Amino acid sequence: METTLTSALGAAAQNITAEEFDAIVRRHQRRVHRFLLMLLRDPEEADNLTQECFLRAYQNLSSFRGDSSLETWLLRIAANLARDHARNRKASFWKRLLGLGYGNEDGAAEHMPSAEASPEQILLAREDVRAVWDVANQLSQQQRAVFLLRFVEEMELTEIASALGLQVGSVKTHLFRAVQTVRNKLRDLR
Amino acid sequence: MNANENTHDPLVERALVGFDLAAEHHIAHCQSCQTEREKVEDALRQFGVANREYANRPEAFWKQQEARIRAANREAAQRSSVTMTLIPSVVVLLLLAFAILGRTPGVRPVAVATPTVQTDSDHELLLQVERAVGTDTPLALQPATLMVEESNNREPLNSRSENKETRSHEN
Repeated sequence: METTLTSALGAAAQNITAEEFDAIVRRHQRRVHRFLLMLLRDPEEADNLTQECFLRAYQNLSSFRGDSSLETWLLRIAANLARDHARNRKASFWKRLLGLGYGNEDGAAEHMPSAEASPEQILLAREDVRAVWDVANQLSQQQRAVFLLRFVEEMELTEIASALGLQVGSVKTHLFRAVQTVRNKLRDLR
Repeated sequence: MNANENTHDPLVERALVGFDLAAEHHIAHCQSCQTEREKVEDALRQFGVANREYANRPEAFWKQQEARIRAANREAAQRSSVTMTLIPSVVVLLLLAFAILGRTPGVRPVAVATPTVQTDSDHELLLQVERAVGTDTPLALQPATLMVEESNNREPLNSRSENKETRSHEN
């Protein structure tokens, strides 16, 4: 299905039917939404920007040439939307000041897989997740995007580079620094 | 922390970022680096799992999201089709309006008042000359003379000049 749609889009993207586009939404909305949620840490904004992402994709289907995968293209749109959103610092400043929206890293830490793990192990794992989130919070928007695509979405370096419009070398540099900080943080924790 | 950790530091990161032959070769023979790598790798893996789990939503949420996207796309398509039909209509209306008013768009109205102004000024000049001839006073001196008359509160110059003439005749 994915291959058929992608090749169809690459050839004549503007001729895609509404039903075919619905299939694209069904297939990719989870990943796009998750990426935006991790990047923005604001569920409401993640919902809005996911819709916006697919709307833009629908309107700009003709610009999709099939050079990258459809998912990479969608993630690129999502990353651009998140970047534009982050530029509107006023809104986020007031939200943080009023304690609204953010702070979901703790929420993520609560979602630890509990099967086959002792309470102590769960506690330690939660601490680790919080420590990694602390590091992720200190990263720039682009570095965080790289970090999340690598360790949450488990994407290849070339895919990340394509999704964010970066060179593979830059992706490696961002990841190297982030992992180094994570490592130091974990060392301080124990 | 032992001394080896600092020496081998970058290799652990390099191995964690992506496949690196030199780093892999070193870690395979270094127990402390191996432990360190596993520890960081485990934390990053837990981080990924926790976030994927956290971002998980019930099926109803995705259905709702899908419906909202479909509605937004339809609305945007309608809006653009309305715009596409409105623009030519507005253009046609404008052209019609210009045609009715007898003007073509882009041609600026020519100022036709200039010849009238020219005629008026010529006529005015002619009148002034006639007035000057009638009073026997050069046109350029007329205002000054009037001012002198007003300030001295005397008779008009014309009558004085007539007096002068009669006095000269008397002489």
